[in-house]
Amino acid sequence: MASVGIIANPAAGKDIRRIVAQGRFVPNNEKINILKRVLAGLDAVGVESVLFMPDSGMLGRGALDGSNFKFETEFIDIPVFHAEEDSTRAAAHMRDRGVGCVITLGGDGTNRAVAKDLAEVPILPISTGTNNVFPSMIEGTVAGMAAGLVSQGVVDVRVVATRSNKLELKLNGDVKHIALVDLAVSYERFVGARAIWDMSTLHEVFLCRAEPSSIGLSAIGAQLKPISLGDGGGVHIEFGDGDGSVLAPVAPGMVLPVKIKSWQALNAGDSTIVTLRPSTIALDGERTLSLKPSDSASVTLSSDGPLVVDVNKTLRAAAELGHMRD
Amino acid sequence: MPEGKELYMLQLRRMMLIRRFDETVQTMVQSAELVGMAHVYIGEEAVAVGACTALRDDDYITGNHRSHGHPISKGGDVRRAMAELLGKATGYCKGKGGSMHLADFDIGILGESGILASALPVAVGAALGSKMQNNDRVVVSFFGDGASNQGACHEAMNLASVWKLPVIFLCENNQYAVTTSYRDTVAVENIADRAVAYDMPGVLVDGQDVMAVYEATVQAVQRARDGGGPTLLEARTYRYEDHSEGLNRILREPYRTEEEVARWKERDPIKLHSAWLIEQEVATQEEIEAVRNDVRQAIEDALEFARQSPYPEPEDLFTDLYSDPLPAR
Repeated sequence: MASVGIIANPAAGKDIRRIVAQGRFVPNNEKINILKRVLAGLDAVGVESVLFMPDSGMLGRGALDGSNFKFETEFIDIPVFHAEEDSTRAAAHMRDRGVGCVITLGGDGTNRAVAKDLAEVPILPISTGTNNVFPSMIEGTVAGMAAGLVSQGVVDVRVVATRSNKLELKLNGDVKHIALVDLAVSYERFVGARAIWDMSTLHEVFLCRAEPSSIGLSAIGAQLKPISLGDGGGVHIEFGDGDGSVLAPVAPGMVLPVKIKSWQALNAGDSTIVTLRPSTIALDGERTLSLKPSDSASVTLSSDGPLVVDVNKTLRAAAELGHMRD
Repeated sequence: MPEGKELYMLQLRRMMLIRRFDETVQTMVQSAELVGMAHVYIGEEAVAVGACTALRDDDYITGNHRSHGHPISKGGDVRRAMAELLGKATGYCKGKGGSMHLADFDIGILGESGILASALPVAVGAALGSKMQNNDRVVVSFFGDGASNQGACHEAMNLASVWKLPVIFLCENNQYAVTTSYRDTVAVENIADRAVAYDMPGVLVDGQDVMAVYEATVQAVQRARDGGGPTLLEARTYRYEDHSEGLNRILREPYRTEEEVARWKERDPIKLHSAWLIEQEVATQEEIEAVRNDVRQAIEDALEFARQSPYPEPEDLFTDLYSDPLPAR
């Protein structure tokens, strides 16, 4: 049975950047509208089953309210704590249930949580967060159609999906966290309100995506070494005086010169030890953990990230097959 | 304004003071030494402490029925607070207000009210005064998820935004209005989402992490002082005890699972902050224990002070009801 999983994060896009920068605000009724369009796309191409993360109950149920879709729906039975781990647990459950694709609504953080245990299931990320690089601003209807086509095997996933890089944070010998775009080391001692907006608090950043048209840390790296999805490689930047500066959009509505002390390109497998203490590690722009003085920490660039569905490639491949013609 | 270790230790001390104060209140209710309603703040300490340590002494706060944590966070005197709870003449309102009416204008504590959302318009009024007097003071108004559904909440937020007033609406979303989940009564997933309707920023923050609340409040305060207007902060938190002391005796069925309560207790704000202080080598276990002992002593002292204090005299019943002289018409 061709099935698709949906993981929609109701908390995405509500962080402190709405005060310190002109962060975009996406209300949940708009997320429900996006989901309605996604579901219409899934239904139109004949998906038979849609699994929802229960945390998105208000979003998923809102989108299904008053609808009459042909597919079966299920809110999966996992414990819900309204926290990031919900997304990771939901993704693993959907993987085990054999979904052909997982659609996410959220930002880089949501996708990081989903990608952690998704293995070979392709992901189709729709952006509803703040400084998004990993998910795309994409119309829900066509996103739903593309996910449906991938899940049914109409198109070859090896052709229409691209494998992402990821950054692995090894703590005291074990890989404890991943990042899909950037991993920054901050001078701040505490996680606090999580987001990073003051570049003077940063010591260094590792990037596996450096998109010139993005916002945030990725945009800084793009001025030194642009890296798009599928390009491979990464970049490591140390901030401070030494090697000039780059002008970059560091947050919504904030374009600032950022001082570069040094930088170097990274290849898959390259590993760097994080020596700064006290410090905080930020994953995809969100401070996540404080490093203890006794922690040994290193960052490794991996080419084994999640498979990301390209909506345009998918619909084009389906069109070339004449799949939608009668 | 304290910063660095001084700030972190002040936050620890105030969270511990609230915890110990309210644990003592629980005991006093159980032994019937304290009569009337008491709503303890145990589990939510990081919200008020994070917010109030981002304020100056001359900034204002308003609170609600869960009324001990806010004034203690602002630097209130636990002796006068405890005396007020016991109805003594040395209390903050000379023993006439009780648990839900602790006020100290000298350090910006404008008071609390047991009527849901009734303090929000008061906060807006104080913010209007601050703006008219051009004195740079901001107001933080604490309210809960239940109060967020009251009409006064809407009126206050709307007017504050229209007049760009220096007020921070801090919703302590402990997720239950008495026994009703906010997910059954609030039309949006996050109360912060409502900010968009008032044309102000809405921010969701971890209410168990004192530094998260502190950092978000610092930014909202700066925006308010700069004339940017109000902010709606939602701190997602959890009440470890029932809505009010003694409620468990009349509850017919549980309204939250043991698993849920246990999970939130794993994120106890005092434990999280203490662990961070030790891990970061900001403080030693001994220093933390010293604060705990000091706090225990301070609350014992407050209780003794309250017990030894006299009740107000009957002839004082009608004093302090009106300002003297009455404001001119």
